[in-house]
Amino acid sequence: MPSLSAVTGWSMAGIAAIGAAVAGDLPSQLPNAGTPAPQMPAEDDMGRPKPLELPKDVEAKLAGIDKAKVDFLKSGVTGRYVEKDALFARIRTGKPEEISAYIDAMQALHAQVEFKAGRDVAAIPLDTRSPWFNAWKARRPNSMDPKRDVGPIELTRYVGGWGGGFATFAGAPVAMTPEDLKAGKVDVAIVGAPLDMGSGWRNAIDGPRAMRMTGGAGGNDMYSMINPNAALKIVDYGDIAIDQNSTERSVDHVRAMVAEIARTGAIPIVIGGDHSLEYPNVAAAADVHGKGNVGVIHFDSHYDIGRGRVHLLDHGQPVYRVINEGHVRASDYIQVGLRARGPDLETFGWMRNKGMRYHTMVEVEKWGWDKVMARALKEARGSTKKLWISFDVDVLDPAFMPGTGTPVPGGLTMREAQPIMRNLCAENDIAGIDIVEVAPYLDTSYKTALNSNYLLNACLAGIAMRKKGLKPGYLNPVSVDHGLDSYYGKKN
Amino acid sequence: MARTPLLARCAAAALAIATLCGPAHAQASDPLATLSPEKKAFLSDPVVLTRFGLTAEKLQVALAGRSAADVDAYATALMAVVEDSKYKAGRDPSEIALNPQARGWNAGTTVRPKMFDKLKRDDGPFSLKRYQFQKGAIPTFADAPVAIRKEDLVAGKVEVAFVGVPLDFSSGWRDAKHAPMALRGMDGLVGADADGGIDPGLVLSIADYGDLAPDYMAPDRGLDHIRAMIAEMASVGTIPFIVGGDHTIMFPDVAAMVDTYGAGKVALVQFDAHADADLNDAHMISDTQTLTRLMEQNLLRGSDVTLVGLRGRGADVATQKRLTDSGVRILSTAAVTERGWQAVTNDILSGLKKGPENIFVSFDMSVLDPGDAPASGRPVPGGISMREAIPMVRQLCAQTKVVGFDLLDAAPILDPTYVSRMSANYILHACLSGIAMRKTGMSVETAKR
Repeated sequence: MPSLSAVTGWSMAGIAAIGAAVAGDLPSQLPNAGTPAPQMPAEDDMGRPKPLELPKDVEAKLAGIDKAKVDFLKSGVTGRYVEKDALFARIRTGKPEEISAYIDAMQALHAQVEFKAGRDVAAIPLDTRSPWFNAWKARRPNSMDPKRDVGPIELTRYVGGWGGGFATFAGAPVAMTPEDLKAGKVDVAIVGAPLDMGSGWRNAIDGPRAMRMTGGAGGNDMYSMINPNAALKIVDYGDIAIDQNSTERSVDHVRAMVAEIARTGAIPIVIGGDHSLEYPNVAAAADVHGKGNVGVIHFDSHYDIGRGRVHLLDHGQPVYRVINEGHVRASDYIQVGLRARGPDLETFGWMRNKGMRYHTMVEVEKWGWDKVMARALKEARGSTKKLWISFDVDVLDPAFMPGTGTPVPGGLTMREAQPIMRNLCAENDIAGIDIVEVAPYLDTSYKTALNSNYLLNACLAGIAMRKKGLKPGYLNPVSVDHGLDSYYGKKN
Repeated sequence: MARTPLLARCAAAALAIATLCGPAHAQASDPLATLSPEKKAFLSDPVVLTRFGLTAEKLQVALAGRSAADVDAYATALMAVVEDSKYKAGRDPSEIALNPQARGWNAGTTVRPKMFDKLKRDDGPFSLKRYQFQKGAIPTFADAPVAIRKEDLVAGKVEVAFVGVPLDFSSGWRDAKHAPMALRGMDGLVGADADGGIDPGLVLSIADYGDLAPDYMAPDRGLDHIRAMIAEMASVGTIPFIVGGDHTIMFPDVAAMVDTYGAGKVALVQFDAHADADLNDAHMISDTQTLTRLMEQNLLRGSDVTLVGLRGRGADVATQKRLTDSGVRILSTAAVTERGWQAVTNDILSGLKKGPENIFVSFDMSVLDPGDAPASGRPVPGGISMREAIPMVRQLCAQTKVVGFDLLDAAPILDPTYVSRMSANYILHACLSGIAMRKTGMSVETAKR
């Protein structure tokens, strides 16, 4: 029978409800948009203002001032409005009534800045009158097309040659429904998620399109001499619908769709889109494989543990949200390539306390890439049963990846990134992969899309290596050396 | 399964039966003949068919040879799409939750009071230039001095203040958030206009009011702040020149004018390839529905709206009819091509004579041909040229009381050359020239040179 959801046009919420009923974990499938904000644990509340110590003479000058006002100064929240030395100078030189008025003004300003229930609205209302409220994620009924058997759809015309002219990820056939994935016994489903609301420059909306229209993802990997297209059943699962005006609304649907893929046994590979996607992707993996059963290796120049912002999710906060909601233990998080401005020392301390395994470019500077890579690979093998790879292309140097929203110089080279991707995929039971922040319009050349596709190819080859039972670090003996003599000690 | 619509379950069952029965029950002539009256009416409704990308003819092809049960399932499935697209309480969140724990919730939109300035200065626009006769090092709009607060506008009797609003949610390609920065760094906004014959920088008191803070994660949030800030500029007699940002910004811009001059006292001239008049969006505001929301909230009457340069797919017949029925005057790009820019400009001006005196001009970069302005979030080929746009804008600003101007949806990253940025600045300069000509009483004939 064809896909129920596709035939009837059930809303995604309906599909999620069914999926959840099957998986037996309904609560985790409830939408996030509009539900009360999760509370931030006190120990995660970094950046809290430090109490301000008043110099003796300043304290003396404040003797006649109302205690509540002095306490306000001592709380340290004034740092946002005036530097402490300027504050002290003002108190030292001012008359008591001037000082009092000054503190009053600062308290009024503080009251204006901080959230106040009733005055500030803690939600964005939507237009529920719209008859097309959910149209953005309405599925096209199967019945609108001619009948077909379930399974991956080949778009090629010829027996040989270069495909049918239709750009798909890795030149793979297309699947539309979970039934297609099951019928085709699909190993890997590559799906686009053109979510594009990150800060910096935008255009991640075109990431999936650019990667489909550029070569490199399919075909033989010379390092293993494996052609993943032949060794694996790969499909292009199309794009996941995005509400281009709300990250929060979009990610509930992304989570349901990624879980839909994973439940069929296929490995979801999500092509972004911005890094907000790490949250619904990893949450979906936890929905399917169980909370705490998935570890994450996060490649990125940024740590993405932002928290305490007005919006509960953006492309700088996914890691915190994944950890805070308990999908993955902090100690099962490995981060590679960090070098942007954050985290500050307080947050580094928090990451250490939580047991996060971070590998900065500072570590690479000190120890060299080979040692750092070996360490990260070892940690990944020793982690949980399943591994999600979240790969932000800005971990690479902008020389290789100019087309990304928040590039940071001093990053990895392709020759450093390809082996770690191939080996990770060969050595671990992969829950899924995302490749995010590809923004092709920021790159007038082809290289961002090409390099992203080659990373995808390395990983696909790795997945195929694991399927074939090849050992970690395997390099094909024929491609590694001409073998005409024993130059490296042993004849190949 | 409790949430599953009954309708949908029936459809699935029906299709299962249809699959079993196969083509044995294939109907002969009109495939819709066997449907219930309700379903037949549904699949015969041209509005429904259009929404699904169908015509009666395409539907016949799609359903030919299908069994009656199969056709019924087809209709049911499409009806389920319509039904499930509606909001349903309990299933669909009606709002997007924010984080009330966020520290400094309003910090990004709270204007720093003067008493907390690190340095004291007198009110008034101040220059960032070191030299008398050199361009400034710090880019500002029109090389103008900087104003930070309303008091600066008042003290300097500022007539025109540029302000950036880097909101970036265009439904097309994005980068409008970088337009204010990019236009500040580009030439084209200073000096005399050879055609207009006047140097607006000399005649007018101009300031750069910096950028206003939008919410980068939500177009629907933070527009009240933009509206209040622009109304504040207008309240002291300054003409705001707003550089967007995507076309969502037209909403707070026009609303601020109405707040200042009163409902029914402001007319809009919108240069745009698109009408931005979509219906039925789940968001309260976005760039494709700005005009809809302005009219819906009675901030504008249809008769106070002139749309110039409409073309391409953003201007379907039904939308045009809905707008013209409500009194909107549409002067398409085709009209400029057929009758020339001067005739169309005369039409704009004569239309405005019957309405409110205060004119707000909204200029979306997409009205220009992509040859002159590739850096537009939603470009449409076949647009008006700079040789047409410059005199049109100049005359409009010279011959009417323009109280505000916005230039929207310039997305600089989409153009690796300087052309789009320079075109944008020349459009802004054309209106500045017009305003200067009006101030000095320069004759219309001179303006028409």
